[in-house]
Amino acid sequence: MTDEELLAALRESVRQVLEKMFFAEPLDGGSTALEADGLAVRVAFDGSPSGALVLAITDAAARRVAADFLGEDESSVDSAQTSEVICELANMICGSILSRVESQTIFRLASPTILSADHWRFHFEPGCGRVIHTVQLENGSLTASAEIQEKLCPTGEKSGY
Amino acid sequence: MAYRVLIVDDSPAMRSFVRRVMELSGFDLSNCFEAGDGAEALRLLGSEWVDAILTDINMPRMDGEELLRRLSGDELLRSIPAIVISTDATSTRIDRLTTLGAKGYITKPFLPEQLREVLERTLGAAND
Repeated sequence: MTDEELLAALRESVRQVLEKMFFAEPLDGGSTALEADGLAVRVAFDGSPSGALVLAITDAAARRVAADFLGEDESSVDSAQTSEVICELANMICGSILSRVESQTIFRLASPTILSADHWRFHFEPGCGRVIHTVQLENGSLTASAEIQEKLCPTGEKSGY
Repeated sequence: MAYRVLIVDDSPAMRSFVRRVMELSGFDLSNCFEAGDGAEALRLLGSEWVDAILTDINMPRMDGEELLRRLSGDELLRSIPAIVISTDATSTRIDRLTTLGAKGYITKPFLPEQLREVLERTLGAAND
């Protein structure tokens, strides 16, 4: 699979999941969600290929997305619920990508994990086998990185995994 | 439409979402049960009868595949139609779960109408 194909799968998965399950209208591009007050989640997957999806979302956008998913007011959604919904969002995007990448293989998805602020920016550095996509939401942004492990990179290019 | 439905998912947020979609689709949720994994679902089914089970695949302790296996191995419980709701849309997985007895398969992300359609079809078939 080329990086272009992986990026196309990531873009389509982000859009479809946000539209269908979170009733959001994402717009491609814009400033990234790599903010200090954001939330980041990682979902690793094992199969052929193996890899991970990392999703970062700004704090305000995360609260809105969680409230829309749960059908509640933003004011009544606490941080634990917000984290849980963003984990579910990452899980769905990851599953959607894998279904587009390879329909014959059985993948095993690990439970989503919240990343600490010290570690998650690494996952958004450009590299071979890693694609990054950002969308703007109503009140913030979401940046997703998909990385695959079994990728032969040209000499001198750093693997993204 | 008053059905007794069991939602099995380790994510309370996802259970809440499915419940809400069913409610918006006109299902009477006065008898809607929830379980966090397959083992909890089986315990609940020991005391409550349901018309349908909506289950995730990836769950801790007992996953959806094992739950389907246990259901199909039980003389009484095998008659309850089970519908899988999962992010995994690979044909291999769908074939495997259908072989294990899944009567429907809904891939996340899904539109509320898709859940309603599969539920109505499955419950309708079960009542025929």
